[in-house]
Amino acid sequence: MAAETQSDTDFGEVSQLKGILFEYLSLGASLLGILSLAALLVYVAVDAFGLEAADPLWFLIYFVTLVVPTLGFVGYGVKNRAVGTVGGTSLLYLLGGLAATLALSILFIIFDAQQWLLVYTVGVLPAALVFIYGRMKEWQQANLLTPIVFAVGSMLGVFLKGPLATFPQKWIIYLWTLGVPVAALLGSRALNRDGRDAAVATAVGTLAIAVAAALAGPALTGLNSDVTLLLGLFVGAPTLAYVARVVRTGHDGVAGLLMPVVIFGGMLLGAFVVQQVAVAQPESWVTWSYFTNPPSQLSAEEAGLFPAIVGSVFVITNVAIMTLALGVATSIYLEEYAASSGLLGKITRLIQVNISNLAGVPSVVYGLLGLALFINGLGLGLGIVLVASITLSLLILPIVIISSQEAIRSVPNELRQASYGMGATRWQTIRNVVLPQSLPGILTGTILALGRAIGETAPLLMIGAATTTFAPPTGYFDSVTVMPLQIYAWSSQPSDAFRYGVVAAGVVTLLIVLLTMNSVAILVRNKYQNES
Amino acid sequence: MTEQSQPPDLTGNRGMQQTRETLYHVVFFACAALSVVTTVGIIVALLGDALSFFGSYSIVEFLTGTQWSVLSNSFGVLPLVYGTLIVTFGSALIAMPLGLLTAIYLSEYASKQMRSVLKPMLEILAGVPTVVYGYFAIVYITPFLEATLFPSISTFNALSASIVVGIMIIPMVASISEDAMSAVPDSLRQAGYGLGATKFNVSTRIVVPAAISGIASSFILALSRAIGETMAVTLAMGSKPGLPSSLHPGELFLRPYSSMTAQMVNTINGELSGGSAAYDAVFAVGLVLFVITLVMNIVSDRIASRYREEY
Repeated sequence: MAAETQSDTDFGEVSQLKGILFEYLSLGASLLGILSLAALLVYVAVDAFGLEAADPLWFLIYFVTLVVPTLGFVGYGVKNRAVGTVGGTSLLYLLGGLAATLALSILFIIFDAQQWLLVYTVGVLPAALVFIYGRMKEWQQANLLTPIVFAVGSMLGVFLKGPLATFPQKWIIYLWTLGVPVAALLGSRALNRDGRDAAVATAVGTLAIAVAAALAGPALTGLNSDVTLLLGLFVGAPTLAYVARVVRTGHDGVAGLLMPVVIFGGMLLGAFVVQQVAVAQPESWVTWSYFTNPPSQLSAEEAGLFPAIVGSVFVITNVAIMTLALGVATSIYLEEYAASSGLLGKITRLIQVNISNLAGVPSVVYGLLGLALFINGLGLGLGIVLVASITLSLLILPIVIISSQEAIRSVPNELRQASYGMGATRWQTIRNVVLPQSLPGILTGTILALGRAIGETAPLLMIGAATTTFAPPTGYFDSVTVMPLQIYAWSSQPSDAFRYGVVAAGVVTLLIVLLTMNSVAILVRNKYQNES
Repeated sequence: MTEQSQPPDLTGNRGMQQTRETLYHVVFFACAALSVVTTVGIIVALLGDALSFFGSYSIVEFLTGTQWSVLSNSFGVLPLVYGTLIVTFGSALIAMPLGLLTAIYLSEYASKQMRSVLKPMLEILAGVPTVVYGYFAIVYITPFLEATLFPSISTFNALSASIVVGIMIIPMVASISEDAMSAVPDSLRQAGYGLGATKFNVSTRIVVPAAISGIASSFILALSRAIGETMAVTLAMGSKPGLPSSLHPGELFLRPYSSMTAQMVNTINGELSGGSAAYDAVFAVGLVLFVITLVMNIVSDRIASRYREEY
């Protein structure tokens, strides 16, 4: 720096101009790509939400009620880190809860809730109880017994479906099968933090909120009682528990709890003012019926994304389960078990090189793999959920493995040594030390990889997935379409209403889903970075 | 097994534990080995059908043929190679300078705060689904180019495809190059300043040459990504296989062509059940694509590791 600012005649003139020009040139280059994408996103948002029809006053109202307060609060949160942390975490609870509610409601369109009730009651729950009992009493055989109980119970549950005739209402099924585990989970977390009284209060409170939401929700919101129960369970209860904890512990960033209030309050206030002033509103293509209608090739107004949304959620859930299990197992092997010398060491190096090469294979080639192996090789159906899920899993597995490896590698070796020093075996060390420490990193990487999977189109085209289906899949052997495929199918429609309306709405929906996933990933990472 | 009854029990049930440890070891190894199985699966799938294609169709004709048409049963790969090359070349013209300058800015000029804002935003460029980029190209970029610069541009054209693919691979160039530049030790920079160099000189004459292996490997990786890109190219450039009739830039860039990937997607549509020559031809193209990208990835990896300056 000194050479730039001060130059003596003895050393010759040094021009600052070239340096300054170069700095701005490189800054401009950094921004060019970002700004062009931003411009395209603005265009597609204007088309999808029909913003051209809106009055300038409409923008002004929302700018004042929503944008300014939100930006102001974010600025405050950046300055005051404690407030920012609490604000981000409370948003994470709300967003995560909403995402869980949406995903579960959609999954229960595919899976039979009554069947789930039986499998849960005689299979999953007993297995979980055996496992927890074994843990608490240090009863080794429980580890063997758990999978047996689970398998036998689940099969029994499937067979019970026939003879049983009457089932409780859907929200009661949810309360029993989802509410009780969530309450137990939240309660056990409170037990570790604040003791027995808090645990009981949290568990009972969770169930009470869920029941209240199911009973009072439909009248207030017009939604089904099962949806409001899920909202109470996944959004209401965890958020309230978090609020209670922040307030009670006198956290510095208690003001951060206002973050969601500012955002949602701003939306409501804006909507209220717009209604009062009666300005021209945008003619949005992104409407409720767009999410609940089947696609239409003829009428743009009636076209919807419903089967594609259900298909996307179903496929991504399967992909998430498969890649998490396989990805974590592989990265544990490569980081914790793999030998560095001898024959096994050579095999390990081969696996490692192979994984990094697999990450570079074009996605369309994975489609060929799926087509040749699963469809024409094993004789599975064209474009069914099972093949789509496996193909996408293989596609993102290398990315998940590489990011999980990084997360596991970042766990300090001292922690492992300490665990071994206390007599723990390798698996005990991994389970109790390595995995809990690296879990945030693993989750972040997995969510980002899933974001890639949700936007993939080419491999699904190669395995013959239908670009348009009119009903959502009902099982693993049903043919499926996903959001990007539907967008691809629509984008060849010549009419402007499709080109600029329906497809734009699909693009915006897909991008919002991606944005939500990525924000959750970033919030997870930030939360744990701040804690550690 | 007898330890269990003798207090104090410090080791737990060791026999059981031993089996469990071995079991986990085997299970984890099996999961890791699955990735090798995937590669083998890809190679077997591609080779199997590609070989049956070359059994009935001359490999020389495949590699030198100038016409790709399912109807007339002629499968010359050259038009597809041209489509892939032109998009790769065009996107490289955009992504390489922009990515390199971005990397220099991020590693040498940007403040810590600026970096923490810019880097995630750059990652967004790579995170947008490719089908969305394709939609952007046909609905916004091509009409924009038609209205402003090139009135004669076709609805489907190589230029808009190059632009969106270029934007898409900027982060790849930028992040890998930046890693390489950040790895250049500060002592080299300090030495430069000590000799009276300006920041511009240090950045362009010391840091960039010192990080050149990383930069080169980032270029190759980005090119390989552009070659394998499917949906954006299919939507933006169409799938009309052909070769340009002259070397005029308008002929090279403003007309519809078809890349290898686009043609794979398009040809397979009617031939999913297998057995036909077109189905096998798609696998032959897939094999070419796989080999090209694999070689590029390996070369990139070699450059990064072999020519890296050790500090």
